[in-house]
Amino acid sequence: MNGMFFALLGAALATVLAGIGSAKGVGGAAQASMGVLSEDSSKFGKMLVLTLLPGTQGLYGFIVGFLILVSCGVLGGSAPTLAQGLAFAVASLAIGLGGLFSGIAQGKAAVSGIALSAKNDKDFSKAMVSVTLVEIYALLSFIVSLLAVIQIPNLNI
Amino acid sequence: MKTVRIIALRKDRKRLLEHLQDNGLIQIRSDVETRQGFGRVDMSSQLHVFERNVALTEQALKILDEESPEKSGLLSSFKGRRKIDPDDLGEIAAKSQQVIADCNRLVELDKKCTDNAAELIRIRTQLSQLEAWEKLDIPLNTTSTKSTSVFVGTLPSPYTEKELNEAIAAENPKLEFAAELIHSEPTQSCIVLFSPASQKTMSEDALRALGFARPMGATSKVPKVKSEKLREKREKLLESTEKAREEIASFADRREAIKETQDYFRIRADKYEVINRLDHSRHVFIIEGYVPEEDCEKLEELCRHAAPCTVEFGEAGDDAPVKLKNNKFAEPAQGILTMYSAPGKTDIDPTPLLAFFFYFFFGMMFSDAGYGLLMVIATGLMIKLFKPDKKMRNNLKLFQYCGISTTLWGLVFGSIFGDAPAALYNFFTDSKITMAQLLPWPTLDPQKDALLVMVLSIAFGLIHILVGMGCKFYACLKQKDYAGAFFDTGLWMLLLVGIAVLAAGMFFNPVLMTVGAVIAIACAVGLVLTQGRAKKGIIGKAIGGLASLYDITSYISDLLSYTRLLALGLTTGVMAQVFNMLATMMGRSVAGFIALVIIFIIGHLINIGLNALGSYVHTMRLQYVEMFSKFYEGGGKEFEPFSLNGNYIKIQEDN
Repeated sequence: MNGMFFALLGAALATVLAGIGSAKGVGGAAQASMGVLSEDSSKFGKMLVLTLLPGTQGLYGFIVGFLILVSCGVLGGSAPTLAQGLAFAVASLAIGLGGLFSGIAQGKAAVSGIALSAKNDKDFSKAMVSVTLVEIYALLSFIVSLLAVIQIPNLNI
Repeated sequence: MKTVRIIALRKDRKRLLEHLQDNGLIQIRSDVETRQGFGRVDMSSQLHVFERNVALTEQALKILDEESPEKSGLLSSFKGRRKIDPDDLGEIAAKSQQVIADCNRLVELDKKCTDNAAELIRIRTQLSQLEAWEKLDIPLNTTSTKSTSVFVGTLPSPYTEKELNEAIAAENPKLEFAAELIHSEPTQSCIVLFSPASQKTMSEDALRALGFARPMGATSKVPKVKSEKLREKREKLLESTEKAREEIASFADRREAIKETQDYFRIRADKYEVINRLDHSRHVFIIEGYVPEEDCEKLEELCRHAAPCTVEFGEAGDDAPVKLKNNKFAEPAQGILTMYSAPGKTDIDPTPLLAFFFYFFFGMMFSDAGYGLLMVIATGLMIKLFKPDKKMRNNLKLFQYCGISTTLWGLVFGSIFGDAPAALYNFFTDSKITMAQLLPWPTLDPQKDALLVMVLSIAFGLIHILVGMGCKFYACLKQKDYAGAFFDTGLWMLLLVGIAVLAAGMFFNPVLMTVGAVIAIACAVGLVLTQGRAKKGIIGKAIGGLASLYDITSYISDLLSYTRLLALGLTTGVMAQVFNMLATMMGRSVAGFIALVIIFIIGHLINIGLNALGSYVHTMRLQYVEMFSKFYEGGGKEFEPFSLNGNYIKIQEDN
């Protein structure tokens, strides 16, 4: 038995968990921004930026998932051993869980940012920067997953 | 920035102010106290008229937009304001009364439409109430004839004719009556009851027991006639609304004139608002303002030319506004700077540094030669075709420079629409070539060499932070705060360099490691010795010094933050690769080619949208949070000259 099952499980976990985080974050922010747009539709551009900020987690998860597919024999590479498969599954947990929770948290921050910049246009850049502060934790999770996933095919396990 | 005081005769006020407004060289101060022997002139009534006209034209435009929306393309927001000659302003002024009359007519028509709509709703309610009574052929408010009493009204439950008669008979067997069911529905029955006038009270009691109620709004007209009349009225209202709407739409060709007139009144309002703030004596008036240093001579020349007056210049204080002045390379980034805050009194203007790092980091994150070229071409075309206003042009320029940097980074990372050249080559020839093999120059693949790119990112971050601290160092020197410069900033910079050398030594050369460690430790000792200097007592100083070393954590988290350069660069590349893979999946058939083109275009457009936004936001964050926090105070005010300032027309180029 090779590690294909676990490798695919890892790809799924990374994509789905981080995706849930982003979906919740973007969803909440989109609701708030539509409330603002109903009052003043000229703010669409700014609202769009703030709404999309929690969307990166999903992308990171997707990239890790994709890189697993590329290196585990589905879209190229060779089938992993059982230990490698397990390693893929574990490595993807970093961005999966990190993306899940940071996406939700960033979504909440984005909602407040939308409220702030709805009140005063000039505070938009402050709102934007504050919302991106959350992102660093998703980034760190992503880097950990990424480095692991890239190295796992070379590991002799 | 200089302060300027212009003293001139009151009779020249109009002429002088118009010249100043035309040229837009001076910002009129509003914070000057009234002098002894001088007073202010109250222009608020005129000002009020102009502002009301502006509001009126705004309302008229809104009405016009609802009725016949302005035809505007997706890209029209890039379009610049229409440029007109100063002499045209007089023509606009001459026509303004006609335009205001048009606007009043538009508002009137709009009010008519709203009133009609309200009336239509009222009619609809009345009609629906009457509907149940259509079959009744006597007026609703009939209560009696000579010998009978008549009851027209509703009972709160459904009946048939037979049930109705039985129910009334059951209430009072002695009652003589004739009941007629007009209409019956699940919630109510409409009935008419006739009884002898002598039995009026009896029938009233019987009906009350059944829950009888007379209809609301009963009139002396037969229901059918009444609803006929209401329908006629409705037709008329609809027709009048239609007419009003047509008339509103017929004003569509006046839109430009309305816009110009609005700007004309806005400009006049600006002028009167300035007059309100000036000191007047019986014969002279005084203008106090700020003027950029390079414009002093021009202003003096202008004033002398316009009217007899004295012009005095003085040194501006700390609260003077700032006018940023940068070369072509850095100017587009001014918008990014002012979005944060204009430079404060002790700040140096960091725009050139900001511009360089902005382009550099944006390129590294977006990093695709294909996308970069598209950006350069698209922004170039927009600038050429739309002739946008200064601010928009600068924004487009910003993205053009970012596009150049994106192209260069794309070449470094070997990414042209992702791996499109290799993917398409493989698609048509069934080979298995990679981008690295295809490109004649050595590339750095962030997917394979992620660690190396990460180290590079952090190294760039270190440079970025050091540059920020260098600015602080320079600013401290300029203010002669030597302790601040050398102890608070210099030592930290050296410490960071030492750690960097140490880290480099770990990979390359043990000697470097020792050198780095020595520098870092020496700086740490220096920091412990100096950072507590504001505290009292030896112990306080020692604790203050040691505690300052804790700041190292904030530097580490700042540096780690630059890993986003890798993460976003990778996101662009991988997403592009995914779309290329999807596009070439369908095989070499006709359907396959069509799918290839469609998926390729849509996929890359999505990728550009998502990742350009991400790169923009994250580059901005790196500037604001990581770099500006090291030295930039902000809090300054921008120079806002007194000028011909319109929303739709421009008379001269803005500064």
